[in-house]
Amino acid sequence: MSMFAEVAISRLLREVLAILRHVPFRIAVCLIIVGVFVLAAMAPKVLQTHDPLAIDLTSALQSPSIAHWFGTDQLGRDLYSRVVEGAGQSLAIGLGATALSMSVAITIGGAAALSGGLLDSILSRIIDVLFAIPTLLLALVFVTVFGPSVLTEVVAVGIGTAPGYARMIRGQMLSIKGAGYVEAANVLGHPFPRIVWRHILPNAMNPLTAMMTIGVGQAIIWASGLAFLGLGVAPPAPEWGALLNAGRNYIIYAWWLEIIPGLAVTAFALSLTIIGRHLQDRLEGKR
Amino acid sequence: MRSSNARPTRRFTGKSNYPARTAKATLLVLVGLSQLPSSIHAQEGVAGSVKRGGVIRYGHFQEPACLFGGWVQQWYLQRQYSDNLVARSEDGKIVPWLAESWTISDDKKIYTFEIKPNVKFTDGTSLDAQAIADNINGWLSNDPDLRNPTAAPYLSDSFESASAIAPLRLQVTLKVPFQPLLNVFAQSSQGILSPSALKRGLAVNCENPVGSGPFIVDKWRHGREVTFRRNPDYNSAPATAKHQGPAYVDGITWKFLPDQTVRYGSLITGETDAIYDIPAVAWKDANSRFPVLRHLTGGTPLRLALYTARPPFDDVLVRKAFAYSTDRRAAVDTSFLGSLPFEGNGALSQSSPEYLPELGHSYGYDVRKANQLLDQAGWTERNRNGVRVKNGNPLIVRISYSNAFLKPDGEQALQVIQQQAREAGFDVRLQPTNPADFFAGKNLGPDDYEVVLLYWVAPGAEIFRISWKPDQNGETNRFNPSRYQDLTLWDVIQKAEQELNGVQRTALYQQAERKIVDEAPVIGLTVLDVTLATKPNLKDVWLDRGSVGEPVFYDAHFDDGK
Repeated sequence: MSMFAEVAISRLLREVLAILRHVPFRIAVCLIIVGVFVLAAMAPKVLQTHDPLAIDLTSALQSPSIAHWFGTDQLGRDLYSRVVEGAGQSLAIGLGATALSMSVAITIGGAAALSGGLLDSILSRIIDVLFAIPTLLLALVFVTVFGPSVLTEVVAVGIGTAPGYARMIRGQMLSIKGAGYVEAANVLGHPFPRIVWRHILPNAMNPLTAMMTIGVGQAIIWASGLAFLGLGVAPPAPEWGALLNAGRNYIIYAWWLEIIPGLAVTAFALSLTIIGRHLQDRLEGKR
Repeated sequence: MRSSNARPTRRFTGKSNYPARTAKATLLVLVGLSQLPSSIHAQEGVAGSVKRGGVIRYGHFQEPACLFGGWVQQWYLQRQYSDNLVARSEDGKIVPWLAESWTISDDKKIYTFEIKPNVKFTDGTSLDAQAIADNINGWLSNDPDLRNPTAAPYLSDSFESASAIAPLRLQVTLKVPFQPLLNVFAQSSQGILSPSALKRGLAVNCENPVGSGPFIVDKWRHGREVTFRRNPDYNSAPATAKHQGPAYVDGITWKFLPDQTVRYGSLITGETDAIYDIPAVAWKDANSRFPVLRHLTGGTPLRLALYTARPPFDDVLVRKAFAYSTDRRAAVDTSFLGSLPFEGNGALSQSSPEYLPELGHSYGYDVRKANQLLDQAGWTERNRNGVRVKNGNPLIVRISYSNAFLKPDGEQALQVIQQQAREAGFDVRLQPTNPADFFAGKNLGPDDYEVVLLYWVAPGAEIFRISWKPDQNGETNRFNPSRYQDLTLWDVIQKAEQELNGVQRTALYQQAERKIVDEAPVIGLTVLDVTLATKPNLKDVWLDRGSVGEPVFYDAHFDDGK
């Protein structure tokens, strides 16, 4: 690990600690919610009370109770355990899609910003064209062509949300590229790749950290939307969107099948968004 | 087909003394008509007090790609705007529609129909014997604009020609007897369309077909609705109808509401006057609040077709083991909440006349037996996930299905099957496929599935020809997803189709039925039902029980006074 990286990490840690010392209540609540879901994703068996796939036909469509906290579905499966199990897939899709989206965005947006000239024009137009295609439509086409699976959802949502990030990254890099300290590094004769790595990229990514946090929540919503439309992972996987899709047929008679997975998606995405915006405010305030 | 279907007509037809026998036949058909439960004359008396006008707002489930064709969802639409040569009454009798009477030669190869006079298509073309002959010949031709995907597989082996031997006399000649002929003619997919309009090509006709029925296709707003307006000159109602003359209502707005909760909700909120396919979860509620119509379709049940042309289901022991390994009855009862019956007879639906009730309980849940059969078949080892393995190959079963053929509740039943079969060592994987992809053949290739979930509606056992005709002359029977090809079975089916005696014909069909169930290329799950819930003030909607339960709005009328 380079000295620069160590400095950057220690600086980031100091910032995080400083932020935590002054965490508002709403952010604390959001952090707890996200923490619970992350625990559910990483170690679902710790939280589960039943086998999420175990069918018990004698316990079908039971409302929430002590035995089944979130009630049961039509096949008698424990909804709480299924929501916990679904957190893993939803989080994996959210993180995976955001990571992919960022990778694509940094590559295209960065290349456009740093190269300038004709390549910038071409890449910017490509971004514009991709931007003009609705994310959901792009994702739908992708899933239709390659078939529904977790990987397809990650790629579909990742590619679908990349143009927005790419445009942001291009803008950030262009402004940093013209900053005084970058010009100074140029004048001092630092090689261009080193300037990009040490100065442009870290500074461009700083505000995007908050956007990435928000993006994870958005990606989860996109993925849930695809699963809701029947384009997600195959049954009986308890991905949250699939739970919503299965529950909508019973919304009049078994509200918990629709409301509770819906609340899970909302709580997780909203918490991530609130945390992201808080981070954004803090980082912008510091700047 | 029931033995009673053909007997009256056969009795009064014959080659010798033809004119006299024809007259007698016509008389007998008309006498038979007067004995129908819904007497035409009695209903006409009532018609005077029926309120006319209004548009029926009907919420349907699926939207086809064309307003006619081989899929039952297309039949429902075609029933509204076209007429058939004959109709099939609730008790299975063939009764007049466009054909007022008919005779059948003694060798069962020549059918002569007397066509109702003064009938016109809604584009003004005369509906005469020639128009019907053109339709029938088109169904059996290779012209993609005219070929009928339902009639062709039924009739292609037996049909010779259809011709107008007089302006209102149609003759259909067969190469070999085919007893279900009139049943086939009675299905809505064989509704007669205007030959003039058919010349416009399939693309135009799909959007705007022209028949002679009680309603006229006005406009198809894709993704939303088809609007029909009343045919003011309608004069060719079937003998099964409750009145004659034009329909009572001004038209139908046939809305496509694929989400079952939305569809049922639209009836509750008064946005529709009738809806198709009551959701299982709302079945009890609907029965307590609305008039409900229901018809269990004949033909095949909703069944699991096992791919028998390669492992693992090329072995009958494995097929039977799969059937025994799952509690399909409990899966159906739970998933459909008691709104649909279990059907263990994979060969034939319980509303088919040839149905054998004792086969309805075939392959009850018995894991011990399933394990024994799998051991016997050489699937003795298990991998660390508990899945059986043979020669290094795990016992994977991919089930392809689409909501084009499976209601949302049915997917729950598949999940039960998936979990239960695991105990016996099957690794069941579900392959949901959207309807467009499914119809395009996705997940239906020879290497794409081990099981596919399908049905094919028909009045009765004539469906065996569709399902079990072996590949011939390099032509694959694409309606046989099991790829089960048994020449002895095919021989029995053909004998049944040509058998002149009704009792013996039924016996032959039942012999085939037993063999199909015993060999288990298909495993029964449940039936396909047609359900309709209507607002209480919408009267006299009925399901065409003689065919496959198409909703009929011809006799319907609003009655706000009650």
